[in-house]
Amino acid sequence: MFVAATLAILVSLVLLVVRALKGPTVFDRLVAANSIGTAAILLLAVVGFLTGRPEFLDIGITYALLNLIGTLAVLKYFRFGDLAHSGGEEPED
Amino acid sequence: MQMVIDILSWVLLVAGGVFMVISAFGVNRMPDVYARLHAASVADTLGAGLLIAGMMLQAGPTLVTAKLVMILAILFFSSPVAGHALARAALVAGVRPHVDHPEESGEACGPEFNVEAIPHETVREDVKLIPSLGGRRPASRKAAAEPKTAKPKTSKPTRTAAKPARKPAKKG
Amino acid sequence: METFINMVLLTLLAVITIGVVRLRNLFAVIILGGIYSFLMASVLIVLDAVDVAMTEASVGAGISTVLMLTVLYMTRVEEAKPVHSPMLPLFVAGVTGAVLVYGTWGLPAFGLADTPLNNHVGMTYMDLSIPDTGIPNVVTSVLASYRGFDTLGETTVVFTAGIGVLLLLRRGVSVARLRRKQQEEESKS
Repeated sequence: MFVAATLAILVSLVLLVVRALKGPTVFDRLVAANSIGTAAILLLAVVGFLTGRPEFLDIGITYALLNLIGTLAVLKYFRFGDLAHSGGEEPED
Repeated sequence: MQMVIDILSWVLLVAGGVFMVISAFGVNRMPDVYARLHAASVADTLGAGLLIAGMMLQAGPTLVTAKLVMILAILFFSSPVAGHALARAALVAGVRPHVDHPEESGEACGPEFNVEAIPHETVREDVKLIPSLGGRRPASRKAAAEPKTAKPKTSKPTRTAAKPARKPAKKG
Repeated sequence: METFINMVLLTLLAVITIGVVRLRNLFAVIILGGIYSFLMASVLIVLDAVDVAMTEASVGAGISTVLMLTVLYMTRVEEAKPVHSPMLPLFVAGVTGAVLVYGTWGLPAFGLADTPLNNHVGMTYMDLSIPDTGIPNVVTSVLASYRGFDTLGETTVVFTAGIGVLLLLRRGVSVARLRRKQQEEESKS
């Protein structure tokens, strides 16, 4: 049963990479990158069960946090144009 | 009992895998960023939720289940944050939502919504300058920024005002 | 099954590398770099190199994305067209790759018993790790127990570097912004 889930995640990874390479705007690529992060976490967990050693799930937790940090760093750059911005003053929109 | 758990986790894992593929397919097929975000969120909620539920059934009440719960919790909190920030940044950078009838939704949705490379300057137009620099914006940049920030506010009145006297849609 | 997963992931890595080479928008390149790191970390997980995977994910997808963005703030988003023809670098890269592939032919087969790797001190660690330290993972016991002071030094260096990066990023006024302001005032006057 884990084989089926692994195959599904691999298929979705391939599709998401296609979008990341095609994506007309930077944000399309970011959507794909964020989803690839999620898929990588799930692949890690499923492969752990597939090989009978599901102890390495801590790394999945790290991946989830890193995924958020990476996405937010890029978005903060777009929002404020500067990574050092404190974010206190929101631009009006 | 083991049989029931196995069948249940089979169903959950396969359903989760199906939702992952559907989500990735949606990310490929949807027309613009906002619709793709909508498709991508399927993987973060249903896909991840069902897959992790299936794995939790297989792991039983152990430390592994606790770790899986942690991963699920982080995903549930982080993916809405990332999605919200993504949509907001895309809107600020000037990516227009793709709509079927642009003339009905006012000026906010122009026909062009694909911005291949968003250059530095267009991004920074919407950014408030840091006060320590005097908060002064060069005249040329301010003029370019003015219509963009004003657009969402003016779009609503014009839409309601234009509604009675709306031109017939081109597509019919 | 593991071989199949690795084949798919490595193919995706190759495809992403080609995409990185062909793209001119550096934002997209940074994002693709993050994706590359996540996939590479997945490959390492499947190969059972958990600690390396952890490093790859945190360095590749975490800190280098942030640092690259900081660099991008001071340069331009679009990569300039190369002035010279790419033939010489391509030739150098091709020859280096060929030499490396040729070098792998001299390596012993995976898991062979009579290699220096398995005859030297490695086996001693394998035998003594559990009685000495009680840590089931041999890599962890070497890193955290046998080489404990070395690891402590490394961690100190990394921690200092992290504090330095934080201090650099927390400046209120960035140098690039100041420089741009200066240029604008010069062009006005």
